[in-house]
Amino acid sequence: MTAVAAKPQAGAAMNPAAMAVGIVLLLVFLGVAYYLSPGMGLMALIGIIIGGVLIGFGVHFVPVGGAPAAMGQAPGIATGVAMLAAGAGLAGLFGGAWAAEQGLVIAVVTGGIGGGLMMAITCMMVNFVYVFGMGIPAASGKVAKDPITGDSQAEYKSQGTEGHGLPFISFVGGVIGGILGGAGGTLIYIELLDLYKATLPTVMGATAAQVLPIAVAAAGMFAIGLFLVNAVLTAYNITGTIEGPHDPKFKRWPRSVVASAVASALCGLVAILIVVPLPI
Amino acid sequence: MEQIVFGIGITALAGALATVAGSAEDTESNIGSQGDPNSQVQLAPQMGFVHRIFNKAVAGEPPAYALWCTLGAGLAWAFLAMQINAILAIILASILAVFVQGIYATTAYLGRTASLSKFGQPVYVDILKSMTTVAMAHAFVAIFCTVTICYLINAALGHPFPLPLLGFVWGLALGAAGSATGNPYYGKERQYQNQKFGAGVPISASGNIVRYAEAGERNSLDNGYFTAKFGGPASGLCFGLIVFLELWRTILFEPIAAGWGAIIVGVLIILIFTIIDRYIEVWARKNYGPYTAPAKEAAP
Repeated sequence: MTAVAAKPQAGAAMNPAAMAVGIVLLLVFLGVAYYLSPGMGLMALIGIIIGGVLIGFGVHFVPVGGAPAAMGQAPGIATGVAMLAAGAGLAGLFGGAWAAEQGLVIAVVTGGIGGGLMMAITCMMVNFVYVFGMGIPAASGKVAKDPITGDSQAEYKSQGTEGHGLPFISFVGGVIGGILGGAGGTLIYIELLDLYKATLPTVMGATAAQVLPIAVAAAGMFAIGLFLVNAVLTAYNITGTIEGPHDPKFKRWPRSVVASAVASALCGLVAILIVVPLPI
Repeated sequence: MEQIVFGIGITALAGALATVAGSAEDTESNIGSQGDPNSQVQLAPQMGFVHRIFNKAVAGEPPAYALWCTLGAGLAWAFLAMQINAILAIILASILAVFVQGIYATTAYLGRTASLSKFGQPVYVDILKSMTTVAMAHAFVAIFCTVTICYLINAALGHPFPLPLLGFVWGLALGAAGSATGNPYYGKERQYQNQKFGAGVPISASGNIVRYAEAGERNSLDNGYFTAKFGGPASGLCFGLIVFLELWRTILFEPIAAGWGAIIVGVLIILIFTIIDRYIEVWARKNYGPYTAPAKEAAP
């Protein structure tokens, strides 16, 4: 067993005490939001937490091989976890923000599809380069057979490597990750946009039309920031590379979901506090 | 109708610009050795293989391009607010962003290479002089094209995000698409050109990158020249498809069924790419065949 194959066992255990602390923190942040702004603020924070959890969970699906993948030594996409997920999620956020006027459901689904589309094209092009540029077929290093197609993997692994390219399960994982990330990012954006559109005219003493560009820009910046927070947090949970939903590291997702919820709640609270006056 | 035709024209232009941007981005990152394969460039001297490859990977491609494109878009926004002509504003902003890229490349090369001095790796001033400017030129093309795409999306297609935010989103996506597609070709096919074609690099060969060219020692310009023939265009195709299809489905199909039209078309496009991907995967398995006999591999 190589060092790459040995990693998935490490750090997979859940820590009940840490999880409990995380959940208590989450409730405290929700309580603060309820105290400061029981209506819109609390609803926005709940939306932000759901969006953050979707991003954190979605990043686990994205097959990322990092530096070993760039040498055909490991399967996955040859870049960093956080950055690839952010690229897909922000492409989704771009589409979702465009569809914001159509309502929450349409915007979130559009954002999800935008992220999935970016990942589908990228994953296809990765296999295109591996197969037609480098003459290397896709092979997983973590499973004997592809869980979706049933294709055997071991004999397609070249000597001295952990596998290469994107087996079909990794492709599907990438698309699912992009969809969840894009939907989560868009949900955060829409929740903050609605909050800012409703509160900024009073806070700034201006008309709704005057504050709209500020609301859009601020909600967009916070959505991107929250996306990066959750993507990087999840990258630490994954520690390096992951092949997709069939990878043993995927089982670590509950830990990351709790962490994403807490981090999103804290960041979301800050995003809400810029428009909700403190009762001092 | 006129609005739709105008939208499709802008979409096509944005897609073409994105293709050029993706291609230039990958070539720039390979000349500067900024992608994941740079781990081998950094590792090589530690394994005793001193080289003349540029080395500026102090940040990944996506955040680096997010920075440069946001700078370009932000400055273009400021110039536009000063009533400067749009084309001139974008060119000036891209030039300023490229200077930041040049400073980044210079300090990154000096810092990363100097850190390898204990392994006998020299800092080559001629490499710094000749590669940095070429990397900057490619970065200018990538940043200019991306900022122009953002401007078109904002001004002509009416996206609500301000220009700097669009610069961040598409800069990050450009880096993500370019590094995902272009890195394996640079890493496996170029840095390890001495390894067997049609197989991954064995982990035991790590660090033993190719250091000699047809005449003299290989440098990063040779690498850029090589990857510009396949990895660059493939990255361009990837980013071009992303930008074009994302805009195309929105412009043409969003008015249908209160937004569901664009969603359904998006799902269909994803399914089409899934089928293409599966076809490529099966094609490779059939035509290249397994490395070892399945029965032998299955035995414990």
